[in-house]
Amino acid sequence: MDTVTYEIIRSGLYAAAREMKVAMMRTAASPIIHSGGDCSAAIFDAKMQLVAQGNDIPTMMGSAVISTKATVEAIGVENLRPGDVICSNDVYLGGGNHQPDVQLTRPVFLDGEIIAYTMTRGHWVDIGGTAPGSFTPVTWDIHAEGIRIPPVLLFRDDKPVEDLFSMIVHNTRDVDNRVLDIKAHYAGTFVGDQRLVEIARKFGADAVGQAMERSLDYSETLTRARIREIPDGVYEGSDWIEPVGAQGWPDDLIPVKVKVTVDGERMLFDYTGTGPQVRGGVNCPFSVTCNSTWFTVKAITDPTIPINQGCYRPVEIVCPEGTVLNCTYPASVVSGVTETSPRIIDMLLKTLSQAVPDRVIAQSHDAACSGIFSGLDPVEARCKAFRRKYVSQLDIHAGGLGARPDKDGINGIRVHVGNTGSQSVELVEHLHPVTIERWGYVADTGGAGRWRGGLTTERVYRVEFDEANLTVIAERGRVAPEGLFGGKPGAVFRSTILHPDGSVDKLPSKGAYAVVHSGDRVSIRPAGSGGYGDPLDREPWRVHADVLDGYVTVASARTDYGVVISDDLATVDEEATRELRSRMRQAPNAAPQSAENAVVA
Amino acid sequence: MRRIGIDVGGTFTDVVLLDQDAGQVWSTKVPSTPHNPADGAMAGLLEILSLSGTEPDAVGFVGHGRTIATNMIIEGKGARTALLTTEGFRDILEIRRAWRHDRADLYDLFFENPPDLIPRRLRREVRERVLYDGSVETPLCEEQLDQCLAELKAAGIESIAICFLNSHLNPAHEERARARAKEQVSGCFITSSIEVNPEIMEYERTSTSVMNAVLGPRCSQYAQNFQDGMRDAALTAPVYFMQSNGGLMPPEVVGHRPVTLLESGPAGGVTAAVRLCERLGVANAITGDMGGTSFDVSLIRDGKPEIRNDTLIKSYTVRCPNIDIISVGAGGGSLTWIDEGGGVRIGPESAGADPGPACYGRGGTRPTVTDCNVVLGYVDPDSFSAGGMRLDVEAARRAVHDVLAVPLGMSDIDAARTARTVANALMAQAIRLVTVERGYDPREFAYVPFGGAGPVHAVDLARELQLPKVVLPPLPGLFSAFGMLVADMLHDLQASIVKTLEEISPEELEGRFAELEAQAYQLMREAGIDPERVKIERRADCCYLGQGETMLIELASDRIDQATLDRLSADFEREHARQWNFTQPDRPVRLVNIRLRAVGKIGTQDSGAGEVAQRSGPAKPFGEAELHLPEGRHSVPRYWRADLRPGDAFPGPLVVEEPSTRLPIGPTDTLRVDGDHNLVVEVARS
Repeated sequence: MDTVTYEIIRSGLYAAAREMKVAMMRTAASPIIHSGGDCSAAIFDAKMQLVAQGNDIPTMMGSAVISTKATVEAIGVENLRPGDVICSNDVYLGGGNHQPDVQLTRPVFLDGEIIAYTMTRGHWVDIGGTAPGSFTPVTWDIHAEGIRIPPVLLFRDDKPVEDLFSMIVHNTRDVDNRVLDIKAHYAGTFVGDQRLVEIARKFGADAVGQAMERSLDYSETLTRARIREIPDGVYEGSDWIEPVGAQGWPDDLIPVKVKVTVDGERMLFDYTGTGPQVRGGVNCPFSVTCNSTWFTVKAITDPTIPINQGCYRPVEIVCPEGTVLNCTYPASVVSGVTETSPRIIDMLLKTLSQAVPDRVIAQSHDAACSGIFSGLDPVEARCKAFRRKYVSQLDIHAGGLGARPDKDGINGIRVHVGNTGSQSVELVEHLHPVTIERWGYVADTGGAGRWRGGLTTERVYRVEFDEANLTVIAERGRVAPEGLFGGKPGAVFRSTILHPDGSVDKLPSKGAYAVVHSGDRVSIRPAGSGGYGDPLDREPWRVHADVLDGYVTVASARTDYGVVISDDLATVDEEATRELRSRMRQAPNAAPQSAENAVVA
Repeated sequence: MRRIGIDVGGTFTDVVLLDQDAGQVWSTKVPSTPHNPADGAMAGLLEILSLSGTEPDAVGFVGHGRTIATNMIIEGKGARTALLTTEGFRDILEIRRAWRHDRADLYDLFFENPPDLIPRRLRREVRERVLYDGSVETPLCEEQLDQCLAELKAAGIESIAICFLNSHLNPAHEERARARAKEQVSGCFITSSIEVNPEIMEYERTSTSVMNAVLGPRCSQYAQNFQDGMRDAALTAPVYFMQSNGGLMPPEVVGHRPVTLLESGPAGGVTAAVRLCERLGVANAITGDMGGTSFDVSLIRDGKPEIRNDTLIKSYTVRCPNIDIISVGAGGGSLTWIDEGGGVRIGPESAGADPGPACYGRGGTRPTVTDCNVVLGYVDPDSFSAGGMRLDVEAARRAVHDVLAVPLGMSDIDAARTARTVANALMAQAIRLVTVERGYDPREFAYVPFGGAGPVHAVDLARELQLPKVVLPPLPGLFSAFGMLVADMLHDLQASIVKTLEEISPEELEGRFAELEAQAYQLMREAGIDPERVKIERRADCCYLGQGETMLIELASDRIDQATLDRLSADFEREHARQWNFTQPDRPVRLVNIRLRAVGKIGTQDSGAGEVAQRSGPAKPFGEAELHLPEGRHSVPRYWRADLRPGDAFPGPLVVEEPSTRLPIGPTDTLRVDGDHNLVVEVARS
């Protein structure tokens, strides 16, 4: 095939994937999809290899490599016909990442032959299960997490299979939104189908198949070239994942381990030694562990290599079954993909800092940090306007991105495999009985360093439900994001309920749902992030600027950075700073760090 | 009447003068003066007056567009601006939606966050709170507000943006804060969000208002300087500024809503294309503006440019109506290269003005799209840019040879042809984005190329997309400036409704439109436009209840009754089915915003045809060119455009040359010249 035809087909595939996601966002009803963008789309070749994706949520894409193949094979290629769309969510029956992310897969036919598959995946705000929002980690098994949808044909002849459709949507708590959301998924697979058929009609199905294969080989070649640049060796690392914090449940931190072997142009990740799977939804199915690994490889090699499954060919992954990183039925999994997975990436980055210190960053907040309020809406006018009484409000919260080798981290942002946005304050208040009283950065939550870690955000909700169920699920409530090369850790996650009588309940990172009432104030604050390099090497003018902007307090400037700032904040006292820093250098252990940032292992 | 259009770009300022009575056109290009932009603009004005022998008082109209507003944001050179927000929310501008979609490759741990438009120390919180239903929970604390304003004044702030939560539902606090700021910080530019974008979603509203505030002082100063310059030159004609929606506005509005100027340069060209379509009786066209660094595509459907309601500038959201222009990094100066996997790539990096393409002979060694065109004979080394600069063919060939041909193992010609084809594919992809991907069949559209490099690729692009016809207007290299002098005045107004079609009565909706209409007529009166010359267009943003994104649906402008609402609902569903292949009939349709566009008819329908060539007998080619067409090497006749007359018709292959560009036509295509001196190519199917 000539270079030109190849290039045209290749760029057409990526454009189609991007367009599929736009279709979903523009037609969905759940704010988490249309405003938070919690959905993704990809194109697979006839052999079910991922050949193109948009600038989509990595967590949904890597695992789709496994789930799409599993899904299609469960139905049987021979049973598919034009206008079919398969629906699935189950991690054990369809290779999914967690139950709330539902996948629609559509075979693309040309002249009676399947030439490709289009796939959309979106986060459903509710799929049933023990708690509204389907996001509680306090579950005995996978059944408690909500409806299990094995691969089933949900559309035939481009029409919903009504009985099945009805069965599924009525197992979710917000039926009306679900109906439109599923159609949005469908619209995504449909526009992708249209584009592919158009390309294939023009160039021929064979040419499209060849271009897909070439594109995969091409990304593989580039990735191998980048891996060759990483020093050969064996690099070992370990970390601790936080367990479910329910009363009477084991509260030991869960050990995770990795041994990375870099050998020429291939990388082997061996997770042997990781702890056994646990009770509660913190486990990762193997598809999620693969995705965490693949993300890391892509990030430390070259993010600009066109992304497809070819990037993952040089990577081998070993993880014993029955562990927290390769769990088996009936383990529950809801936060494996949202919280455990980014923690694994941070473990990998820290491990690889031994090999490529300038290609990794300090640790980050590592959580979707979801907060979900559910209950009956007390405002009659709104019930009438939206034709519902029972309402769920799911919000994602953003913490810090770790400091980098040559620049600061980033304040208040989604990191690594997750990228769902936080919701508009006005939109949240327009739709739900809550008022948001504050949304902003929290000073000193970014770890001090030559480069400072990103700060976290805090969002404070005033509850206006008469009574509501609240689920908060996060990570790093106990294990702070570490710094690198002398950088200090960032702040840990914190969430509280302040009752009108002044009493305060503190929520663990993965606790049971709470019941809140009108007038309660719920604060949700993900972790910050680690610093990179010694804070005593940070230029005083940068510390001063951070103080003026309120990212760092005067106290922290002094105790963490050794920078003395005048009382009116106008200047840095250079002499006092020199003196203090020299004292701190001589007694490095005496350098205090913000108490809150301490690791409680 | 004589009209002047002037388009101030980053490097050059284009000026066009039209004598409407004589049908004559003059044009010139002068260097822009970024340090004192009004100087370059005035120099261009004076030059066109002397070129055309025009007395200042013979000029009746000046239309002005500029990309300086955009550059100001990109280069971070706007005013020193502060933001007042509701207590607890000063970080909205920096957090945005907390995701990375608009700012980063998701696998890139090292991405740069876009710079703050306003540093945190200048984002101040004021105690006040309006709730979701518009009720006031916490009254505005004036004492705190005053103290805050005093501090900002002391800090030497030039501009203040005010955006409080839920102000689109109850603007009282914002209005009060605005009034206090005006009193207390005299000489400061003040923007409140409800003046600029009264619409739900606080980040987008804040970002739009802040953008307006950052632009305000410099833009008003520029408008003032330009008018002073005109007065000094004894030019008494009214001056109007081009907005990103493709319409003009009086200079006073520049002082209030400069955010509407942000993408005015490209909008000028699209507006000129709209006029072209009106004269041709063509309803649907695609415009392709190819300059040095980018290829900008837009769509004209049913005679109107497609409008979108928001755009991203430096990854900040700006919510105001603008012509929907898709831009890809495939301009004449875009670099072509081979990646490690052996793939041929175009851009996004560009050779810029210095050293420029290799053929400029200024030391550039990396081949650009223009270099490939030179090697293939699509661009002529002698006639390029009016002969002002002779291109170095050998340098172009060497760059193509070293960077492309050697690694590809191809001849120089094949390598250049491959790169050109990849560039065409990239441009075709951009055109697909605005047509196929929105459910339109490109075969129903004419293609209008402009910009210096646009015509060079036009016929191949049209063939690739099966566009039946290419129409090359006169002055393709100055088309945007021409657009400035033919455009009408436009005011786009919007109001937030947020009700389902069942909840709103025809009377209420009519009332809301009437309010906007009264405002629009007031604005037009202030600009001296007679109400009889004002045309009103009504649109509505609709979605199914629950959806977050809306579709823009047109409404008839007669009095609204139940039938209007039923029609609106049906039109929405039809549009939804067309784009997404499904409808949800049991789901109510929600009306989110109403939008009103007032068109003040101050433009003209004139073409830029100029004089008819004086010649005896049929047009003769002035020479031959060697062209490496996709079909192979051809020796083709060269025509000067200035020698062609309406009614001329020729079969391809051939090239038509003019000072700013060249139009190559393939062996199976035909060319004719229409009554407006447009070159019309009937493109054969491949």
